[in-house]
Amino acid sequence: MAYIEIDSDRCKGCYFCIKFCPRQLIAVSDKHNKVGYFPAAFSREREDQCTGCKTCALMCPDTAIEVFK
Amino acid sequence: MTGKKLTKGNIALAEGAIQAGCRYYFGYPITPQNDIPEYLAKYLPKVGGTFIPAESEIASINMVLGAGASGQRAMTSSSGPGISLMQEGFSYIAGSEVPGLVVNIMRCGPGLGGISPTQGDYTQAVHGGGHGDYRNIVLAPASVQEMFDLTIKGFELADRYRMLSVILADAMVGQFQEPCRLTPEKPVVIPDKPWALTGRAGRDQRLLKSLYLGPGEQEAHNLDLQRKYDEVKKNEVMCEEKLLDDAEIMIVAFGTPSRIAKTAISMARDQGIKVGLLRPITLFPFPERQMLHHSERIKNVLVVEMNTGQMLTDVRIHSHKDAKISFYGRPGGGIPFPNEVLNEIQKALEK
Repeated sequence: MAYIEIDSDRCKGCYFCIKFCPRQLIAVSDKHNKVGYFPAAFSREREDQCTGCKTCALMCPDTAIEVFK
Repeated sequence: MTGKKLTKGNIALAEGAIQAGCRYYFGYPITPQNDIPEYLAKYLPKVGGTFIPAESEIASINMVLGAGASGQRAMTSSSGPGISLMQEGFSYIAGSEVPGLVVNIMRCGPGLGGISPTQGDYTQAVHGGGHGDYRNIVLAPASVQEMFDLTIKGFELADRYRMLSVILADAMVGQFQEPCRLTPEKPVVIPDKPWALTGRAGRDQRLLKSLYLGPGEQEAHNLDLQRKYDEVKKNEVMCEEKLLDDAEIMIVAFGTPSRIAKTAISMARDQGIKVGLLRPITLFPFPERQMLHHSERIKNVLVVEMNTGQMLTDVRIHSHKDAKISFYGRPGGGIPFPNEVLNEIQKALEK
């Protein structure tokens, strides 16, 4: 099953991944990271819907997203 | 983990150090190498290593000397101004024959300079910097994969010859991201060190020093060192030779300019100009034999560097006497475009 991992300390909260995820599986986290941004977070409940299309990882300017298939 | 992972050059280097068995890091922050201490501060303690943010670069290099003398793999990393401060330590490490690894992710100079990529520290790294008659092994990675592999190689060579290995990369190689295999090519073996200072209990005294005052002692020591350097020159040269067989002009470049040159070479070959590339991977030992061999046949040589002509001197020394040598250099953070290199190729051929 595909899933992604977001390195939350590298995320600066641009939310490109949220905008571009075709299945809306990414949302803004309610906890801030160590530099004070609210990072993007993968929704673990709907994890089974992730196809591993890599769009989020390609959009991420900070290469903070790793895709596992 | 198998397969490749998108990795930043500095991170690949830091991970390479951990996998090479380096357990001691001492350093002081400076852009553009900060990812190295950042990564090692996080991951070195997890493998039982020690990370010390030193009070200065002078302290860090002397800590490397101390840890190296005890037989451990130790390293420090810095950039231009920090490396200048370390030169005294370089010399003491060479004199005491202690292995160690220093990473120089070059930034512009002189002085505080700037943080953009450059190769202005070639002469300092290859031809000394510190006092005395000594050499360091200098490795010049041009890709993220090489940042990883050459770090492991650097530790290996340092231990084998009991001397300092310097990784000389420009800020671009340190900062960009590429797919990288983060496992060593072959298993890492740390050799026995019958000279290391590990406590005298149960054995004879060992001494590591760089002070020789008796008549002839220092000369004998220098000649011993020289024999070691000759051995390094004989056995450890690494270089990449690309498309040289049919070339009418040869580009000599290391680090980032060699990558730019490769694009320029394919552009030139599309136009029917036969260009090849000689990329030294070890700057000391310099690929002298290959330089002579190729320049004897390919009479045209173009040196491309991101400085005002530091490796150029070595190319001139080791080229065939009839070779026509041109130079294209961009100092101070200027990065040439492939079409500019192509222009230089055409100019060099017209000369």
